[in-house]
Amino acid sequence: MDDNKENRTVIEAEVPMGTVHPGALEPYRLRLFVEDEIVRDAEMTVGVNHRGVERIMEGLPVEKANSLTEKICGICSNSHIWNSCRVGEIALGIEVPERAVYIRVIMGELERLHSHLLYLAHGSEVLGHETFAMRLFYIRETVMELLRMIGGNRVQYGSAVLGGVRPRCELDQMRIQKLSEGIELLKEKLNDFANRFVSDPLVMSRITGVGVTKPEDALRLACSGPTLRATGVEMDLRTGMYEYDSFEFDVITQDDGDVKSQLLTRVFENFESIKIIQQAIRNLPDGPITNRSWEMQDTPITKSYIEVPRGTLYHSYALEDGRVRNSVIRTPSMANIGAMQYSAIGHHITDAQLCIVQCDPCFTCTDRAIQIIKR
Amino acid sequence: MSLKSYSRGRAVHVMLVYTGGCNGCDIEIVNCILSPKFDAEQYKVFLTWNPREADVLVVTGPVTKYNEQPLREIYKAIPEPKAVVAAGACALMGGVYKNCHGDIPSEEISGPVDQIIPVDAKVPGCAVRPQDVVAGLVSALPLLLNAD
Amino acid sequence: MELTYPLIAVIGTLATSFIVSLFLPGIERKFIHARIQQRVGPPITSPGIMAPIKFFFKQTINPESPMPKLYNALPLISIIIIIILLLVLIPQMYFLGALTSIIAVIGLLKVEEIMYMFMGSLSKSVLSVRMPFPDRAKGAAHPNTPRTFFEELSSLRAFRLIAFGSFPIYIALFVSVAMTGSIYLTDIVAYQQANGPILFTLSGVLGAIVFFIGYMILLNEYPFAILKGKPDVVEGPYLEYAAKYRAYVYITRGFLMFTLATLFATLFLGIAPNILNPNFIITLVVALIFPMIMAVMSAFSPIFTYKQFYPTVAGVSIVGVLAIVAALL
Repeated sequence: MDDNKENRTVIEAEVPMGTVHPGALEPYRLRLFVEDEIVRDAEMTVGVNHRGVERIMEGLPVEKANSLTEKICGICSNSHIWNSCRVGEIALGIEVPERAVYIRVIMGELERLHSHLLYLAHGSEVLGHETFAMRLFYIRETVMELLRMIGGNRVQYGSAVLGGVRPRCELDQMRIQKLSEGIELLKEKLNDFANRFVSDPLVMSRITGVGVTKPEDALRLACSGPTLRATGVEMDLRTGMYEYDSFEFDVITQDDGDVKSQLLTRVFENFESIKIIQQAIRNLPDGPITNRSWEMQDTPITKSYIEVPRGTLYHSYALEDGRVRNSVIRTPSMANIGAMQYSAIGHHITDAQLCIVQCDPCFTCTDRAIQIIKR
Repeated sequence: MSLKSYSRGRAVHVMLVYTGGCNGCDIEIVNCILSPKFDAEQYKVFLTWNPREADVLVVTGPVTKYNEQPLREIYKAIPEPKAVVAAGACALMGGVYKNCHGDIPSEEISGPVDQIIPVDAKVPGCAVRPQDVVAGLVSALPLLLNAD
Repeated sequence: MELTYPLIAVIGTLATSFIVSLFLPGIERKFIHARIQQRVGPPITSPGIMAPIKFFFKQTINPESPMPKLYNALPLISIIIIIILLLVLIPQMYFLGALTSIIAVIGLLKVEEIMYMFMGSLSKSVLSVRMPFPDRAKGAAHPNTPRTFFEELSSLRAFRLIAFGSFPIYIALFVSVAMTGSIYLTDIVAYQQANGPILFTLSGVLGAIVFFIGYMILLNEYPFAILKGKPDVVEGPYLEYAAKYRAYVYITRGFLMFTLATLFATLFLGIAPNILNPNFIITLVVALIFPMIMAVMSAFSPIFTYKQFYPTVAGVSIVGVLAIVAALL
């Protein structure tokens, strides 16, 4: 990629990590090629997690297939079901009631909060800072409780159905009250944490200048989401999504592209999410939450891109007799794998896991379509 | 209660193996050990990542093909007495991935955990709740305490 | 009659130290880490006492190692070395002459460090190379590179620890030598009983700080845990220990914590560990305070890489040299 990084010398040894490793948590194989403990090359093998969700979706009724996409990932489950429903809505021309859109946005932003907090906690754990990790898990618990209150489950809480949201996810006065209180509390806790985090000299010295991805490289590697924004490229699909038309928020960017800017991007995005949720609570429109007046018909392959906590999520399928055909899903972590391998090069082996974690990997999402060629 | 059982009950080392679940159970289990709200250490449950140190193996996920051999190896590396807790619907019976190819044997899923290694306690849920994980660990304890 | 008194002193001191050292990991975990992390934490007996007892009751397995017997013997050797180290600090043993000098103490600590290297190079855990995974398939990058176990990596790091990482603690040991002009523990203790503890001088304070950093590095506690950091080498040299040998590893750590604190009390406060001397209570207090401060430090710091490790060691060593210069002036 870069000239001075490409200039590699003799590779001394290979350090294989995984598929069970405390730094990684998820099962994947990582081969680090080191020379005197400095990583010269890295190779990541995904596909360990491949279960074939698209294969199972093939031929299922569209409602069932939508709720199946939830099981792709336990972290961004709502995003998957949201985007999958969005494909159906675009294909069938269903108009979603405004209240349902607002509830979807609230769920999406709560999910972004919990995903980013989890990311920060995992990052702290890989840094070796157990106290920060525990603190973040504690803050995250507030979000989990809110998600459980609205979605009914702590993890698989997907709210969207074709044409609106589930009746379970209706926000009545009590829930709105609890939501706004929870968000206030969260803001306070996050503020404290962010102040503590940026003023910690030991942590800052550990993460500054490590795992740098330059913006041009990030674009060439096709990174997406916060990973791209942390390198200084202002790109957020939320600015173009009709769901976010009535919300005001800033697109957070950082300049350096190192682990510090990656972590800080997530910290600041949390505050933007809080802002969006507060706007949504304030302006929550009245009306129905599902639009049931639509008819099933055959449609060609339709695609939809949305911004999820980790980046750009792509879903596409065609409908035939109300059943899903040719389902393709591309998750953001797939796009960020290049950045993970690239940013680890040239750093100490202890930082290698950190460089991977900074791109917010989710390999259960990533292990999608893999073509098995038998020779 | 003998010293043997007493000491086993007072220090339980838990190892986690993720075998291709959706991350939901995995994070809830990590949450149950790392989050100060649940804090499994107050129940004398310690997290370890070394099979030689572990007493209880917590397995999540439907065991994908690539994870089958590593899981066996790790199970073999744990010294007796040991217990296995399968957590989550996928680990118990394959979850949504069960029978994903109908009658054709699956190329991706090696089947639920109890087809690979003997399972002692099963924690249902999609995803498992942290409270249930602690309960599942406790229900596997008598097996450890009464072993030789 | 002349032999009973020293015998009681030696055995009593060793036994008390051993019992106290068993509680240290629990105190560290329950009262410091858990308090800082705002949780309840484990019972105080669990990490230090019950865990080793539990490991004694587990099935003994053959570790994956080219020399399993030697590998299993290493923790025993290292615990014996620590016992010898504690033994030579006890005043009743000062008749041993050269063995009760700073040089002997440094030698024993060096052997302790070399143990890490042996452990690392003899362990072949399932977690890295031996994990069955078909990743050297067609199309893989650099398919013929020699592969390294995590433990070999931490063995290399143990070598660096010997080469430069343990500078601070050795320099700190020489502060008291420079102050008293003798390498014998007898003279160091006698000097401090006559002139007051070294700790309350300028070079003593600097020396104590240096000693403390060296103590953390030698114990591999969290900011300096390059041998057994979770992000890369998991547990490093200890990966293959199971059953009772792991229990020895657990006991060794607590005992080393206690012994190093005793060494500090001897060299900087002039209180040699002796159960029959009422000042022994100060030794115990030092042995409690040291792990507590260490736990606070480790709870608030991430793991260091060489980028932070080299400057820390270099800076602390310079402070140590300054302390020696101040002591000589």
